[in-house]
Amino acid sequence: MTSNKLTYRMIFAALSLSVLLVSFKKKEIPTTKFKFEHFKLLKKIPEPSDIVYDKETGHTFIVSDHGKLFECDTLGNIIRKAPEEGMDFEGVEILDSFVYVSDETPRKVYQYRKSDLSLVNVFSVTWQGALNKAYESLTYNATKKCFLLVSQQPVAVVEYDKDFKEIKKYPFRLARDISSARWHNGFVYLLSGKDECIFKCDPNTYEALEKYNINVLNPEGLAFDAHENILITSDDLQRLYFFNNLPIIK
Amino acid sequence: MQKKLLLFSLLAAGSVIVARAQFSEFQNNAAASTFTLSSDQNTLQIGGRTSFYYEDRVMKQGNVNLSHNGFNVGDMDIDLLGKTANKFIYEFHLSPIDLVTAAATQNTSNPANSGIKAAYLQYVGFLVHIKLGFDKVPFSQGSLTEKWASPMWSHANLYGGDYFSRRDIGLTLNTNLMNNRLHLYGGMYSGLGENCFEYGGDASGKPEFIGRAEYSYPGKMKYASIDEENSPVVNFRVALNARYMDKTQPAGHSVATDVPDAPGAFGLRIVDGKRSVYGGDFIIKYRGLSFLFETDMVNIQPTSTADPLYEGTATSVNKNKVNAGGFTTSLNYNLEKLHSCVTIMYETLNPNDLAPGHEEWLYLGYAYKLSGFNSVFKIEYYRPMVEDVVSDPLKYTAQIRAGYQIVF
Repeated sequence: MTSNKLTYRMIFAALSLSVLLVSFKKKEIPTTKFKFEHFKLLKKIPEPSDIVYDKETGHTFIVSDHGKLFECDTLGNIIRKAPEEGMDFEGVEILDSFVYVSDETPRKVYQYRKSDLSLVNVFSVTWQGALNKAYESLTYNATKKCFLLVSQQPVAVVEYDKDFKEIKKYPFRLARDISSARWHNGFVYLLSGKDECIFKCDPNTYEALEKYNINVLNPEGLAFDAHENILITSDDLQRLYFFNNLPIIK
Repeated sequence: MQKKLLLFSLLAAGSVIVARAQFSEFQNNAAASTFTLSSDQNTLQIGGRTSFYYEDRVMKQGNVNLSHNGFNVGDMDIDLLGKTANKFIYEFHLSPIDLVTAAATQNTSNPANSGIKAAYLQYVGFLVHIKLGFDKVPFSQGSLTEKWASPMWSHANLYGGDYFSRRDIGLTLNTNLMNNRLHLYGGMYSGLGENCFEYGGDASGKPEFIGRAEYSYPGKMKYASIDEENSPVVNFRVALNARYMDKTQPAGHSVATDVPDAPGAFGLRIVDGKRSVYGGDFIIKYRGLSFLFETDMVNIQPTSTADPLYEGTATSVNKNKVNAGGFTTSLNYNLEKLHSCVTIMYETLNPNDLAPGHEEWLYLGYAYKLSGFNSVFKIEYYRPMVEDVVSDPLKYTAQIRAGYQIVF
């Protein structure tokens, strides 16, 4: 047998095995495409990683991989910056009169006072996986009245109380990673950076109900504005993407 | 040959079936089992990589030594990566299997594999990041790209270490500009490459200088050949790099006697004289497809007219210069739904333009990913399409490697 024939047979054997092994079919969930309307370059915010909309002021808070917290207008223009910095800010959420920020590298959550962006408290959380695959997402689940920290890879939705004591962990197997989470109007939305999609999830079980494939490279942050429009930040591209309302899946 | 086919099929099936059986171990830990310890001011990640493969070479007639055919350790690495709150990063990447091999063979097996792959500290608090220590040098996309994150078991010959060193001890500065689209590197190094631990330095006492400029669009790109993100928009990077050293030896010293392992297989990595390397590379990714191109040209000016690199040619012929180099190009497709990735690569090389002949290689690779490239079965095939019988005579006509890899 020539070396070429051997090679072809080997590749055929490997491909056949692969096809057999992927026959474990995943549960289908309703899916649709969701395209952005326009975007803006966030020139002064290096590596923006998450965004949250403040209904009270109409502003947004954006955090950066460089450990910085910014308050911005809805177009991403900086209004002010928190004086206290961290190492690698990845998640941001607003609850009552505070802004909460997750710092991925040291596994900490910072509590800032919204009025003056002064640091009020620092909580330690635990995630023993890879240094740069930890808590990229932070949101408050108003349905269950608990904070959610979502690990990037492997994905797990972890519930915490208001003192950041762990309550319960839910594995999430539908995406290769999760880079942002947001509770909104009774649902939890999870954003996958690697799979470039948004999952609409049950706020009690975190089971995915719908899936929206987006056309954004390396999306990292997810927010809903006052008109239900979606804002998404992209880390690598340093952009803020503007979407309309989520489409209805028929 | 039928027996070999059967053996490979069993190995392929066995690897994948065993991996499926092991899948539950990784199911709750898809990024594998990297650990991170953190205190108030410091974070330390403990990771590594282990891989094993079966290698089979199709030997030319008359070659009865089949020692290459059998099981091999690909990697057995351990990596410690730390970050401090005051913006220092440090890393220590060790390959115990290379250390053991070097000790057992008195460093004759592969002198360029010291067993240490990275040992550096870096300060990232300024616009310009400062790195001091031993690590990959900022030259060649193929060298900077991790082969473990691809279907291949080995680097292409051009950037595998025979034409220029891939790692060295020294100082590296780098910065990102234009919203991370422009990435600039510059540094000075020992010039001895991976042999710096063996010799410490050479008699010339002069360093090697390396510079690299990259432009990515629409944003920064990681050093990964495969489009695992199935990019929804076209993204690309183009780069130019160069390196220069003047290792003219003082009287009474020579590269051949003082640092005999450092010049490498073709005598190109360090020469008694001046050497420069110019290169350029390009990568584009879209919807799981990625295309890569790289060219590197070595220009050498040996001090002695009797240097073996001149191949005995007259000065009127060689003009006191020796050239080497070539290019590689590859096409990859990542089919995430089938957990699969395929690669085809071609390269053409000339280790010495004063010697007749050149070589051309064809590479094929396939990966079945159980958990990305963290837990993956890979099969690689390569063969010379044109053999350079003068500069790089071969005993085989093709080679296959098939095995399993875990990154933790």
